[in-house]
Amino acid sequence: MPLDQIFSLSGSLAMLGWIILVLAPRRWAWLNAVPRLVIPFALSLVYAGFILAYFAESGGGYGSLEEVRQLFSLEELMLAGWVHYLAFDLMIGAVLADRMDTVGMQRTVQAPILFMTFMFGPVGVLLAFVTEGTLRLLPRHLAKA
Amino acid sequence: MTFSNPLIETRAHVRLSAALTGFSIALAVLASAAHIADPRLLDGVPVWAKPFKFSVSFAALFATFLWLENRLSQSWRNGWVVTITISVMAICFAAEMSYIFYQAGLAEASHFNTSTPFHTFMYQVVMFLGALTLIVGIAVYGAAAALDKNADLPPGIRQGVIWGFGLSFLLTLIVAGYMGANESNHVGIPGPGTGKIPVAGWSLSGGDLRPAHFLALHAMQVLPVIGWLADRYKPRRAQRFVILAALGYSLLTMGVFAAALSAS
Repeated sequence: MPLDQIFSLSGSLAMLGWIILVLAPRRWAWLNAVPRLVIPFALSLVYAGFILAYFAESGGGYGSLEEVRQLFSLEELMLAGWVHYLAFDLMIGAVLADRMDTVGMQRTVQAPILFMTFMFGPVGVLLAFVTEGTLRLLPRHLAKA
Repeated sequence: MTFSNPLIETRAHVRLSAALTGFSIALAVLASAAHIADPRLLDGVPVWAKPFKFSVSFAALFATFLWLENRLSQSWRNGWVVTITISVMAICFAAEMSYIFYQAGLAEASHFNTSTPFHTFMYQVVMFLGALTLIVGIAVYGAAAALDKNADLPPGIRQGVIWGFGLSFLLTLIVAGYMGANESNHVGIPGPGTGKIPVAGWSLSGGDLRPAHFLALHAMQVLPVIGWLADRYKPRRAQRFVILAALGYSLLTMGVFAAALSAS
């Protein structure tokens, strides 16, 4: 399969997971498992395949920016890196969603935070942590609806 | 990891005002992080200063709402007036802050930006209607405090809320309304090397309308605190004291406004 096709397929798969995570009800365990388990697992398989096959060939590493650049100079590893983002961002998004559910955050407030996690991973993490942290720090009786 | 979340069904949601307070603080943290990394300036001011200030201001707004909601009686607290008002304000907040952050990212102005039809629409329609709705929402909360006879509000605090929220609406309408019509938050142009107040970034050389806008907007925090102090230290004349303080605060705001105008 051409790399471009794997790229767009992975993207669609991740997108499906995000749509479920942001918009779908959290009532059914089987549906919740799709963005939390099924899709990250599938994306991890893709990543694992590429990284194991091409890491040595690239001659790059993790030790310096130059080594990382060397790593990404190989198209296959650039794709692997991208799929790594997709898999981890979605999993992190699922963790954040569960944490935000736990403190009782409305889905409407969760939505923009999860959207930012989808677009810019750590930006969403910051938003989620500080929002959740504020709600945890507020006296319980004050925050309660 | 949980695949079904039993907490959803069993645990009540937090108040929307509580979630919005947290989200506003989160936006302030985000703007701070961006500020550290981003050296770009807009009109001589770091691009992330404005998103930061607006985030903090919104956090104060929603925290004040959260406090007041908890003082209202059950039927007002969970009634349709408060529910609809905070929901509509949440939408305006989202629209305003999305655009302010987006424009900061581009190092372009959000308010007073009429460079393209899109920017004109965002400023003159979205931002204008959003801001107007937000201050009307403040007035509605003030009215709720006035009408809810069973609210847990001592006389001074109640007067503080009514006057504070009412003045936030009225004074902001005047000051921000003038700013909008003036098409700038400055009267005249501040000269180069103009002194700036830290964090706020207000010009010290005069003509800056933003201090008056700040005072107008935050009457809703200042006057309830004065009311609380009045209940504590002047319990028998608390209401009269708050009304006098409200008049004084209005004069101060209009004085600062007039001072800016006279610098032109």
